[in-house]
Amino acid sequence: MISATKKFVPAARTIAAVAILFSIGCAVPLRAQQWPAADADRTLNAMQDELERSRTRMQLPNVEKPYFIQYRLVDLDIRTITASFGALVSTTTAHNRLMDVGVRIGDYKLDSSNFISGGNPVGFLGSAGQVGVDGDYNSLRQDLWIATDQAYKQALDDMARKQGYLRSLSKPPEIADFSQEKPVVMVNPRVSPDWTNRNWEQEAKQATAALRAYPGLYANRITYTLIYETYYVMNTEGTRMRVSRTISAIESSIETQAPEGVPMHHFYSTYVTRPVDLPSPAEVSRQLDARAKELMALRTADPMPAYSGPVLFDARAAAAVLAQMLGPSVIGSRAPLSLLPIVDQLTERLGGRSEWSGRIGSRVLPTEASLVDDPSATDSQGRPLAGSYAVDDEGVPSQRVSIVEAGMLRNLDMSRRPGSDFAQSNGHGRNILLGEARAASSNLVFRSANGLSAADLKKKFLAACKDEGRQWCLLVREMDNPAVGISRQEELNSEFQDLAGGASSGERVPLVVYKVNVADGNEELMRPGHLLGLNLRVLRDASGFGNDPATVSYAQSQEQGIAGTALAAYGTVDNGVPSTISAPAVLFPDVEVREARGEMRRLPLVPPPPMQ
Amino acid sequence: MNAIRRFILRTQLLTISIFIVAVLAASAHAFPRKPGQAQAAQPQAPPSPLLATMRAELDRSMPVLSHASPPAYFINYSVTQSRRVQVMGSNGALLDSSENLNRFLEVQVRVGSYELDDTHKVGGQESLQMNPGATAVPLEDDPAVLRRAIWLETDKQYRAAAEALVRIQTNKEVQVQSAEEGAPDFSHEKPKTFYGPEAAYQLDRKPWEQKVRDYTAYFRQSSDIINSIVTFTAQAENQYEVNSEGTQIQFGQVRFRLELFIQGKAPDGMDLNRYFNFDWVDSKEEPSNDAVFAAEKTMRSELEGLVKAPLVEPYAGPSMLTGRAAAVFFHEVFGHRDEGFRQKDVSEGQTFARKVGEPIMPDFISIVDDPTRLRLNKDVLLGSYPFDDEGVPSQRVVLVDKGVLKGFEMSRQPLKEFPNSNGHGRRQLGAAPDSRQGNLIVESNRKVSNAELRRLFIEEIKKQGKTFGLLFDDIAGGFTFTGRGQPQAFRVEPLVVYKVYADGRPDELVRGVNIVGTPLLSLMKIVATGDTTDVFNGYCGAESGSVPVSAAAPPMVISEMEVEKKESSTDRPPVLPPPAHDHSGDKQ
Repeated sequence: MISATKKFVPAARTIAAVAILFSIGCAVPLRAQQWPAADADRTLNAMQDELERSRTRMQLPNVEKPYFIQYRLVDLDIRTITASFGALVSTTTAHNRLMDVGVRIGDYKLDSSNFISGGNPVGFLGSAGQVGVDGDYNSLRQDLWIATDQAYKQALDDMARKQGYLRSLSKPPEIADFSQEKPVVMVNPRVSPDWTNRNWEQEAKQATAALRAYPGLYANRITYTLIYETYYVMNTEGTRMRVSRTISAIESSIETQAPEGVPMHHFYSTYVTRPVDLPSPAEVSRQLDARAKELMALRTADPMPAYSGPVLFDARAAAAVLAQMLGPSVIGSRAPLSLLPIVDQLTERLGGRSEWSGRIGSRVLPTEASLVDDPSATDSQGRPLAGSYAVDDEGVPSQRVSIVEAGMLRNLDMSRRPGSDFAQSNGHGRNILLGEARAASSNLVFRSANGLSAADLKKKFLAACKDEGRQWCLLVREMDNPAVGISRQEELNSEFQDLAGGASSGERVPLVVYKVNVADGNEELMRPGHLLGLNLRVLRDASGFGNDPATVSYAQSQEQGIAGTALAAYGTVDNGVPSTISAPAVLFPDVEVREARGEMRRLPLVPPPPMQ
Repeated sequence: MNAIRRFILRTQLLTISIFIVAVLAASAHAFPRKPGQAQAAQPQAPPSPLLATMRAELDRSMPVLSHASPPAYFINYSVTQSRRVQVMGSNGALLDSSENLNRFLEVQVRVGSYELDDTHKVGGQESLQMNPGATAVPLEDDPAVLRRAIWLETDKQYRAAAEALVRIQTNKEVQVQSAEEGAPDFSHEKPKTFYGPEAAYQLDRKPWEQKVRDYTAYFRQSSDIINSIVTFTAQAENQYEVNSEGTQIQFGQVRFRLELFIQGKAPDGMDLNRYFNFDWVDSKEEPSNDAVFAAEKTMRSELEGLVKAPLVEPYAGPSMLTGRAAAVFFHEVFGHRDEGFRQKDVSEGQTFARKVGEPIMPDFISIVDDPTRLRLNKDVLLGSYPFDDEGVPSQRVVLVDKGVLKGFEMSRQPLKEFPNSNGHGRRQLGAAPDSRQGNLIVESNRKVSNAELRRLFIEEIKKQGKTFGLLFDDIAGGFTFTGRGQPQAFRVEPLVVYKVYADGRPDELVRGVNIVGTPLLSLMKIVATGDTTDVFNGYCGAESGSVPVSAAAPPMVISEMEVEKKESSTDRPPVLPPPAHDHSGDKQ
């Protein structure tokens, strides 16, 4: 009920130059003395010793012992600054450490994981929690000890339930539960936070101060989130990792109400790894000012009528809509089994079903199109990529995945959870705050081999409109992200409910659209309606692409139920993994558009107070 | 911490919450604690510029909304500025050390009239109005930005209230009405003006970071202690409030608290815990290391004792409560039922709605709730406050006089016979105020020395032909929602219970004690009380959130209490011994 408070997210990219060493014999645990002893961090020693004790001795009488135990720990320094209309609303700095212990019973083929039983968690302390920030040996062993104990008992309970469920199936799934991977040993220097290089409070205020000039803006909020994290993974296969990474984000909402009562918003967000790469306050202010102007114009713009015909997406809008369309389908890991049909239904409803699973070798995009997901790329034309990381959250080195080549589906993003097409991870197991790692994209790059210049693409667009005998067609400049643009939780919830209804059928929500006059190419801003039927089948039939791609950074939501669905593109740094998508402008020959509408709400009876 | 809590919700790692919430739960369940400031004695100070900003916006809103349809008849603006330091340790390491400064705005708009408004409860306990929530507003005095936030929030609250009133007017005719139907929805109170000084404290977190490490490191010495959490908090809360009746107040309170919490497991898997807390309001009164370690030693020996203790067998007979246990008991089984708003419950099952003027406990027992009182003997009273959360000055209220029920803890939600607030409308930030306890103080005029009380207890055991009675040394309280229509159940969970034998054998610790029957009836069976008063300070959770409270009571003997064995957890004790106590192998 208390609104406010922001969040954090773990990140992506190792700071230090890394040397990945593949250890050879694997399951033989290294002794503590083998760690670089350059710092006082005893975390790995404590993990090592407790893991070894658990590996050799954790077994209840007459039941199976674990075949896999994994300790994950994250050390987080988070700075969050919120301002509104040039005034500081909150500023916090927090240092926390979280641990999570994973225990698997059974074997790689069939184990206690990948099953949603709906049962209550067993145990009284659980297998995850907050631990001391001191890097202290004794307390961490105590915490890991009880968490391992709890995880083991939970795994036993899960396994019993899962086996019961499998017996009830006529044909149990044949896909293995867990992939076997080479262990990785990578212990990098810890990176400590430095908050002093820029005055973030001042920047947040400065960035929003100019919005005071817009009396028609009802509300505004900007949040700077800076996260330094050191991530530790150790498992009984021999993986031992300590990597530091950072994520930095600016997220801002601006809100108003149209004269006839419909609530309206706009947003600005950007995600990078290093704080130093965040835009200057002058640049943020410029961006916000442009959006404020746009929002003011949208307030009084004519609502878009129903439409069916050619739609041109500018590169930024194309990238954002492709993030929604491609997100669920580039994932090759299978969904967990569920005793609760509602889980599958929900995933389906939110557009979480892969359109590409089982279609390796088929044509899924126009032959001129290619799609790559590359977490190992750290920048694109000199601009840093937020979705970069060296090893994923399961300790698997990140790999560039060439998903679509010349329109043909070749590969998919994989975590250690196998799928129907691939059995191995390719380093795409991601999550935040030690949540269960699941396959997700990182830096998606969509390209066309025959991209047209902006002028040629527009020409082609207008020609298509003319062919259909139209006087005007639609141009989409910006897609919506309600998760960033709506500051009130209850309004966001209701918006999400609305969006959920159409996600599976390809309903997408633009924010800035123009009516383009076919005769003279003039553009007129419209109040946007919803785009319908925009799924990957439509993308396969796209009639043209640009040659000047835009890269959009965003956070992919890891919220339970949302992760892996089309709506996951609506994340915030609170709940999502930082990601990028790069795409050129796209021309769709035929898109149906539902007329603009919205809940008419009475305008405030009292006029707004003066802003100066 | 906020981020971490959100993480918990988000990822549904339910288990992690235990680590973090355990201490809160322990304290919230337990209840009474420390005090605040005085009211009448508080010096006046210049009004904060915040008040003028809030007033300016109120002066714009009220004239318009009071002429709207339906009309707003009452608007209240409240800004709460909170500076909170938290330093937390666990198992010998620092968990968290943070400082947060926030300002939150709460807006209340009531629509309709004092007689019937948008908060009217139809068809039972539930109000159609949601909790209003709180909005973060600038930390700086930026009038324009604050006014914009107030304006927007006023509109939202007015809209919600107007919608609620329409539904109430539609539903009212078809719903069951409570006995209190006909009482107005909101009381008329005299406006107050008061400008107290800003509450603040100076604090260096560093020494506390070491203390929480040391305090929790001690618990690692025991192989029975699976987990320990120690939390230090310092909070300065300043509240600024204006309303359309003319009230304009500012006041602040500082509270310091140290909480100790440990968990263990009996061989049969039963979860065990011990909890202790220190509260103070003046930084000079912080507990010494000696005092803390003494408390920890007791906690440790109690937990170790409980691990080995036998399970209780079903029993009905004489019982004795220590002052601390009695205080919790009264808070839960009497104090909550005497909250004014509960008398409107249509089911009336558990309330005192029709018992005013009737004896409800022995004639030597009287009970007051006195939030104006800052201390009882040397103990700070946590439930002290100068004004309640509806801007009404706190008052001492006689609830039971010589065994006869006299009144209720009242907020501005009136009862037919009690048309006014007595300054007990309280809430956690973001929730709508309800009538709540402040400092519940049980007084007795049948006092004997504590030694004599024990003698009377043994005499009572013998008289009833029992071989032993039960001594309740520590009781946790708890508030649970049990479902629609009966939203409240006030659990009393005995934590430390001894068998006291009639034949003079040493007292024997037992575990798994569950009180059965109607605890309220036990209050009729008090035989005598001791001549000391113990104070228990804590945070009490109920419909309007968590609020600081105290309860104080003397030790007492009760002629009959019925207990049974409580259900144990199915979770087995840990497979391996704690790392620090594993002598069989690889420990470093």
